[in-house]
Amino acid sequence: MPSLFFYFFALIMVLASMLVVLSRNPLYNVLGLVVAIFSLSSLFILLEAFFVGIILLMVYAGAVLIFFLFVVMCLNLNDPVFTTPQQSRFKLLGWFTALMFLLELFLAVKSYVGALGLAPSSIRGTIEAIGRVLFTEYLLPFELTSFLLLIALFGIVSLAKGALSSGIEEKKI
Amino acid sequence: MIGIEHYLILSGIIFTIGIAGVITSRSVLKVLLSLELLLAASNLSFVAFSRYNGDYAGQAIVFFVIIVAAAEVAIGLAIIVLMYRHLNTIQADELKDMKW
Repeated sequence: MPSLFFYFFALIMVLASMLVVLSRNPLYNVLGLVVAIFSLSSLFILLEAFFVGIILLMVYAGAVLIFFLFVVMCLNLNDPVFTTPQQSRFKLLGWFTALMFLLELFLAVKSYVGALGLAPSSIRGTIEAIGRVLFTEYLLPFELTSFLLLIALFGIVSLAKGALSSGIEEKKI
Repeated sequence: MIGIEHYLILSGIIFTIGIAGVITSRSVLKVLLSLELLLAASNLSFVAFSRYNGDYAGQAIVFFVIIVAAAEVAIGLAIIVLMYRHLNTIQADELKDMKW
């Protein structure tokens, strides 16, 4: 039964990722990523990583991708840039590179799995277990992420302020 | 029970699609979305290894990756909005100036 769930969500995730990369409509790109993140979260729960799965669903699908959706709504989707087909010069090269990478990764996984023979353990990623790890072994990185978020906040405020002041200057001219 | 190689190969397929998206797409928004796919693929590998090695470190690292991705997306989208306001397009080819 778990393998059935795995193949179902794996198929959905691959299809949604193809939608992200291949669709020309930015709205479909973002919604495809929402579906991909949802199935990724389901796979996490299948791996018994409950806390990370729920956080992924709430923070990624709930906050980050809705933010993406806001930005897409700010753009003018009737612009010829979005409606005309785009021909990228790197299309063939890009897919060739990516497929070479996949082949290499496949060979690496094949040699690695045969050598180690890992079996599923009985750990469960509950809030208690992850919290224990975060606040003992990874306390310093955990505190440093607050600085990272603060710096990101400074960056956004300075970008927005720059945009506002340049807008005022344009109006004066 | 499914072996770890299934998860690793799925992660590799998602990573490949993401790399192809980053290289081939011309819209900056799509590049950012493909980067999210790359992060999602690596997160899947981390959690699979965490489960099959019996170590919580992989899941803690996924937590940090989510935080870094949130910060990256916030800055990237602010830059995209500014770019759209200044250049009226979000095509990466139009970014020719180092300063505006």
